Amino acid sequence: MWREKLQLHKTNPIAALYPSCKFLILCLYAVCSFVLGSIGVGEGDYPLFLIPWFFVVPILSAASGVWKRFVHAFRAVLFIAALILVVQALLIPSEKVVWQLGFLRIYQAGLKSGLSLSFSILNIAGMFVWLFQTTENKEFTRALEDSGMNYKAAYVFISSLQMIDVLGKNSRTIMNAQRARGVETEGNMIVRAKAFFPSLVPLIVGAITSSEERVLTLESKGFDVNGPKTSLFELKKSGKEPLAGGIAIVVTLAVIVGRIVVWVL
Amino acid sequence: MGVVIEFKNVTYSYPLTDEPVIRDMSFTLEGGKFYGVIGENGSGKTTLCSLIRGFAPSFYKGELQGQVLVDGKPTVDYGPGELSLKIGYVFQNPFNQISGVKDTLFEEVAFGLENFGVPPEEIEERVVEVMKMTNILQLAEKNPFELSGGQMQRVALASVIVLKPDILVIDEPTSQLDPEGTESVFKIIEEMKKEKKTVILVEHKIDLVAEYADEVLVLKDGRLIRKDATAKVLTDMSLEKEGVQLPQMAILGNRLVESGVPLRYIPVTEAQACEVIGEAIRKGGK
Ligand SMILES: Nc1ncnc2c1ncn2[C@@H]1O[C@H](COP(=O)(O)OP(=O)(O)OP(=O)(O)O)[C@@H](O)[C@H]1O
Ligand SMILES: [Mg+2]
Repeated sequence: MWREKLQLHKTNPIAALYPSCKFLILCLYAVCSFVLGSIGVGEGDYPLFLIPWFFVVPILSAASGVWKRFVHAFRAVLFIAALILVVQALLIPSEKVVWQLGFLRIYQAGLKSGLSLSFSILNIAGMFVWLFQTTENKEFTRALEDSGMNYKAAYVFISSLQMIDVLGKNSRTIMNAQRARGVETEGNMIVRAKAFFPSLVPLIVGAITSSEERVLTLESKGFDVNGPKTSLFELKKSGKEPLAGGIAIVVTLAVIVGRIVVWVL
Repeated sequence: MGVVIEFKNVTYSYPLTDEPVIRDMSFTLEGGKFYGVIGENGSGKTTLCSLIRGFAPSFYKGELQGQVLVDGKPTVDYGPGELSLKIGYVFQNPFNQISGVKDTLFEEVAFGLENFGVPPEEIEERVVEVMKMTNILQLAEKNPFELSGGQMQRVALASVIVLKPDILVIDEPTSQLDPEGTESVFKIIEEMKKEKKTVILVEHKIDLVAEYADEVLVLKDGRLIRKDATAKVLTDMSLEKEGVQLPQMAILGNRLVESGVPLRYIPVTEAQACEVIGEAIRKGGK
């Protein structure tokens, strides 16, 4: 009865896909982004096809039933992409100026490179966010082990994922401790940065010392024993993988063919 | 049962240190017995545990003279993972004893069994049994990273005893526990003894050691200054000068004897104190 409880019962068919199938979709999506990004539109050769293509990511997330989590995790990526777009557009000079306000100039080359870079980031990072929001850590572990990956490598991968959560929590604890000691942790960027670096030291030192004990803990729980391991959690294919993978391949082929047609014409 | 652990003139120093932490130790531990290890902070108790488990020197490196034998074979000759089936080790710090890859306590406790390739049905049975025993079954679905110190300590103990090793090395398992939790841990360890396991327990709570241990090892500055039956060691008033805290009952008994009350023997536990003091009072009354 416990074993039954530990299994995942996903109702959403997209979220329930096998992790490697989701990863295939991610890779094909990246290929499509690359191909579409190479099509220049208008006199500035702007990679405008990337913009509508990007909408696939939120739509896919919404269809996978992880819209809220997606938005939450995606905000940071959005911010970085916007920053890159602005910086590139303003700072890469070319003869052609697209738009001018006072001393601010948006150059054609800058806009092109900014669009290309920021939307590539949005597309690929967005797909990763989708992958990680629809897949539980234990699914990754099982999938990696089933794919024949060394269990130690799989452990490193998965424990780093878990560590991101834990370090986040620890850093909040440390921040609180710093605040209790009178260090300013709120306010503008400079104040925050000043508080941030001293917090890193106990965080990193703590992570290193605890890793030594972690190694011994693993060793004493037989992690190093040679021979087959068993697992309480079973990862099953949902059965829709060929369909989902098929759709992804067809779309990718269509995009490539489309690209070639544009080329030839 | 015969000897399961033997130290032959063991001297050990950690890397980059001049002074040895364990000095010239020789003793044997017998199977099926419960050994209490006591001593001040820094006297080498944890290092002794690491030596038994083979972490020193294979993991910590450092310099080992003499031999540590487990079942007659030097620990340095065991292959990786081989000792983990034989010796269960519960670390002093409960916070770093989780695997870091499981998202429920149930799976966390099952982690070792999965590594040993135990079939899932059996894993489930054993994990449920041990979690009941350590009183953490109600937490089974919690995330291992979100536990209190006391809960963590029970989890650490549970995930080791679920492996059913023949030898248990337990380093201060009750430092984070309330009196009730401490008592329950000792009950569990006693249970292990009934299953004929050898238990080596480092513990500062001397009254509990007095009650449960068969023999006591006293460490001071890396030396083994006593190793004998519990009643014998813990009634030895000369140990007080060595900074060893004796059980309240033993101190009381000694004071009574000094002041002329004839006790048949010096008690170390409450039950024994009741017995001998009761006897003395009844005799005195007549
Ligand atoms: N990894 C290490 N490297 C170097 N020295 C160490 C290491 N671990 C412990 N020591 C030193 O060895 C000595 C004995 O330490 P040990 O941890 O065995 O003491 P202990 O009896 O377990 O103390 P406590 O009651 O505080 O747990 C101490 O002086 C300590 O500083
Ligand atoms: Mg210690």
